[in-house]
Amino acid sequence: MLCMGKNDHATIQAILSGDKEAYGALVVRHSPSLFRVAWRITGNEADAEEVVQEALLRGYRKLATFESRANFGTWIYRIAVRCALDRVSSRTRDEDSRIGEDPEQDEVQVADEAAGPERMLLSGEIGALQELALQDLTITERTAFVLRHLEGCSGEEIALALGIVPNAAKQAVFRAVQKLRRSLAPLRVKA
Amino acid sequence: MNHLSTADLVEHYYGEGRFGAGAHLSNCAGCARMYAALQSDLNAILNEIKATEPPERDHFYGERVWLSMAAALPRYELKKRSWLRGVTLGRGLSFAAACSLLLAGAFFAGRVWEQRKQPHTASTIAPARQSAPQPKQRVVVVVLGDHLDRSERLLVELKHADAQSTEMIAPLRDEARTLLAANRTFRAEAAQADNPELATALKHLDGLLAELANQPGGLDAEALGKLQREMKSDRLLFEVRVLRSRAPELRARVTQQMSGGSI
Repeated sequence: MLCMGKNDHATIQAILSGDKEAYGALVVRHSPSLFRVAWRITGNEADAEEVVQEALLRGYRKLATFESRANFGTWIYRIAVRCALDRVSSRTRDEDSRIGEDPEQDEVQVADEAAGPERMLLSGEIGALQELALQDLTITERTAFVLRHLEGCSGEEIALALGIVPNAAKQAVFRAVQKLRRSLAPLRVKA
Repeated sequence: MNHLSTADLVEHYYGEGRFGAGAHLSNCAGCARMYAALQSDLNAILNEIKATEPPERDHFYGERVWLSMAAALPRYELKKRSWLRGVTLGRGLSFAAACSLLLAGAFFAGRVWEQRKQPHTASTIAPARQSAPQPKQRVVVVVLGDHLDRSERLLVELKHADAQSTEMIAPLRDEARTLLAANRTFRAEAAQADNPELATALKHLDGLLAELANQPGGLDAEALGKLQREMKSDRLLFEVRVLRSRAPELRARVTQQMSGGSI
């Protein structure tokens, strides 16, 4: 899933001994992969960039609790997944509360449906429709699916990243697959 | 073997299927058809999703991230402290024991010296009180200088402490506990020696050390913020610095007194 820099442990020792600047090497090394997974979960460039920063900050603060036998790349990756999930959850809550507070927001959403599945199908935007189907998954399902397929994580790694038991992680991936297949079935027939 | 469920097929797709699933698929046309459909669906979905790659980051992305966050990171001192703490604790205990011995020695020396001056009458008691405790006073001044030095270091660390880093807070609490006992002794000494300025500063310090040392349930962000505010409003760090800077002067005065010079 991730490459572990050979020098990560030595770098961490240096940081814990007071060499703050050494953390820069870890940031430079791991930022791109963190951005990728954050983008896949949040689906948003700006959010993904903030997730990367937040994850690396959290990582630095918790560095003293990092176990030397662990893989820093995997560890910080998990933190980034959690940060991304938190961000998506808070965004969803914000959107829900906005809709709840202002009934006119519903109308805006209805207007969005003009660019819904039918129109996208007609204009051949299959990828966009599939992206829409992906957005219909719950956060856990979507993240489990993304980690499984796009990041190549095993069931156990997904479970650790999501903070759930391995069986629940498997179920989340399975539900995601089922939902995606169901939502994309009409599209395949017409295509 | 029973037919494979959809969940079994999905697991098999990921290479984590139950034992014998592959053999069953090669023998069961129905399950093989279902599996082929699943493969086709997943491949189609993945091809589309993978076509949407994350936006490219340039080679300097990591460096930009680092630059944006570097200033916000506190420097770790934990690893250095972990072994230093043991040494510091050992040294602190030895230091406290040595101080107690010196104080006791000074006390007895004072008593013996006083007894030798028995012929003095009641009218000479006041000058005797000035001169008798001098050895003790000198010891107290030396030790007080060190106490103020340590207190100042603690206050500086407390001023810059981050409540999120419990690893950085715990040593402060331990140090406060060590200093608290010594501070009370010096406070009593200052009151006896009729030094209200020192006594007041040590009283302020005493309050803060007691709060820091005995914070129930550890030091959370709120408690830390309160202590930092108290410290600021009392101008405690400033007071301690002033007193510490005057410790050598005080010592010189005591030495001069000892050698019979005038103040």
